[in-house]
Amino acid sequence: MTRDSKPDLLKVEGLKAYYQMNYYGVEREVRAVDGISMNIKRGEVYGIAGESSSGKTSFIKVLAAAIRPPLKVVEGTVKYEFKNGPIEVTTASKAQVEDVRWKHLSYIMQGSMSVLNPVRRIGRTFKDFAQRPLGLTGAAFEARVVSHLARLKLPPEVLKAYPHELSGGMRQRVTIGLATVCHPEFIIADEPTTALDVVVQKEVLSLIRDIQKEMDSSVVFVTHDMSVHANIADRVGIIYAGRLVEEGPTRQMFFTPRHPYTAHLVASLPRIGDTTQRPALEGRPPNLADPPQGCRFHPRCPLAVDKCRQEVPPLETVDVDHRTACWRWQDVKPLVGSAHPAGVMA
Amino acid sequence: MHGYLLFVGKRALLMFAVIFFGISAMFLVTYLSPIDPVEQVLGRLSARSNLSPEAIASTREALTAMFGTGQPMHVQYWNFWTRLIQGDLGASLMAFPTPAMELVMRGMPWTLGLLLTSTVITFIVGNLMGGLAGYFQNNRFFKAFGIVTMGLQPIPYYIVAFIILVIFGFLWPVLPISGGFSMDVRPSWTMPFILSVLQHSLLPAFSLVLVGLGGWFIGMRALVSNIVTEDYVTYAELAGVKRETIVSGYVMRNALVPQVTALAMVIGGVFSGTIITEQVFNYPGMGSLLVDAVNAGDYSTVLAVCTVSITAVAFAIFIVDLLHPLLDPRVRTE
Repeated sequence: MTRDSKPDLLKVEGLKAYYQMNYYGVEREVRAVDGISMNIKRGEVYGIAGESSSGKTSFIKVLAAAIRPPLKVVEGTVKYEFKNGPIEVTTASKAQVEDVRWKHLSYIMQGSMSVLNPVRRIGRTFKDFAQRPLGLTGAAFEARVVSHLARLKLPPEVLKAYPHELSGGMRQRVTIGLATVCHPEFIIADEPTTALDVVVQKEVLSLIRDIQKEMDSSVVFVTHDMSVHANIADRVGIIYAGRLVEEGPTRQMFFTPRHPYTAHLVASLPRIGDTTQRPALEGRPPNLADPPQGCRFHPRCPLAVDKCRQEVPPLETVDVDHRTACWRWQDVKPLVGSAHPAGVMA
Repeated sequence: MHGYLLFVGKRALLMFAVIFFGISAMFLVTYLSPIDPVEQVLGRLSARSNLSPEAIASTREALTAMFGTGQPMHVQYWNFWTRLIQGDLGASLMAFPTPAMELVMRGMPWTLGLLLTSTVITFIVGNLMGGLAGYFQNNRFFKAFGIVTMGLQPIPYYIVAFIILVIFGFLWPVLPISGGFSMDVRPSWTMPFILSVLQHSLLPAFSLVLVGLGGWFIGMRALVSNIVTEDYVTYAELAGVKRETIVSGYVMRNALVPQVTALAMVIGGVFSGTIITEQVFNYPGMGSLLVDAVNAGDYSTVLAVCTVSITAVAFAIFIVDLLHPLLDPRVRTE
């Protein structure tokens, strides 16, 4: 693939971000992100998967430079190499972050129903969001927005509408339009398809893909829906209990997972014609205020041995671009025997 | 636009219905009341002079004809409405034969002026401060402001009013404590008179604002601290939208919708609230007039005061109602 030839746009190194709370003198620390390292190339779509409360939302909050108490970056760096210069968002000043926002780094937020101000016309919202980063005013700005909306198959009348006058699909396209109108280099998409039905979902996914290709942006795509990842991501990273447990090219992740958790995630997908019960994992994700020793997956892992209970497995490279954090990765077998795991388009 | 006109029409109809039923209820109460206006006037007249029994009988006849109390209820009701529409509510009994409406019209500018300004000031200051306090939750100034207004809130109004009276009237006598204007200026549109009116209205207005602030402040702060966690606010912050735009256009603007609805309800209560204000500060408005009229058994003046306040409150609520769809596009009828 062309991936190797492209430079890294984002470098995350040893990132630890904790929720530090103090309730009437009782200290509490939730280790939502606990030592994640990863790189994302220019023009790459990187899918992040993980179940609820695995720390994926906290992780992308840090990526989006939306770090607010009680969330705190304890260790590590998050460095972007934007065209106008590098920026390390965990230490950058407010003004520096404001400088890259929307023009270089933009965000598609979860829940298109509630991300638009209900008492403001869409056109006003576009002005609020994009006028400053684009540096355009009046007719030039309007023309730019209208042509961008046309690309998203939205008529210019949308600008005069209030959010409640649009359908769910249109609203989602409007938020994608808002996030991409400035042609950002890096787009963070947090569950952009979760509340939509499959038809609109497909439309939105191909839209994000098209725009990403056209602008050669990088996209970090977060969803717990593995079939969405199968359709859109170049690479997929799996987060479990605040740690990256496996990452690799999408096809390899589905066909030859090297972490028992990934194997189970993939196996949980339904397949047409298969009526056997899916293999399920016992238990639930660990409490991040008090995570288990060693590999955090060991209490639920069918392959766990003593070593897993004591020592934290490092991320090991097992193939080109494929890394996993499992002591027994060689023993991990795909749980579904078929040559076509669900969701992957042949 | 067509939809909005339809909405205005519906609300106007509702307003007229409220006024009609309010005034009818008031008529019924006075009709059932044991006080007979004819006897009231007669009592007053005979207390001052020696009248022969024949004179009393003929006066009684004349008064009964004038008040129309001898007629059956439905005729009285009909006469009441036809005269009311002409603005005639009969002669005041305590200031006989001045028309009651004239007394009310004399008091109305004072009451309306005091109420409108203090309600508007309270609404704006309370909501602005509450909104900012909700957005900048760690700001010390807003925290302190909140403690003071919330501390004042539970104290009964008349006590706060008396404390203000004592502080600014006796301990530190800088402001007039009684009346609507100084004795030495003549009521006219001249600078000295206007200044005198403003000076005299400061204390009553201040007391009303002080007591009213807490409610708006607490309500707005609670609304805003909910709204700042809404996705559209977080998203605008993530997009680097200017902070002033977020506070005014995203946070306050959305919180204003329920607050304006609440304003309509508060207006309903201010007319009765002003009675105490005008008593404490001896202000020459409709509240003082009402108290005097009740004490004197002057039922036509009581009727006039009530009619005017019912109409004014219904009209104010109507105006606030019309603002609502302009503030919230979601209730606009297309």
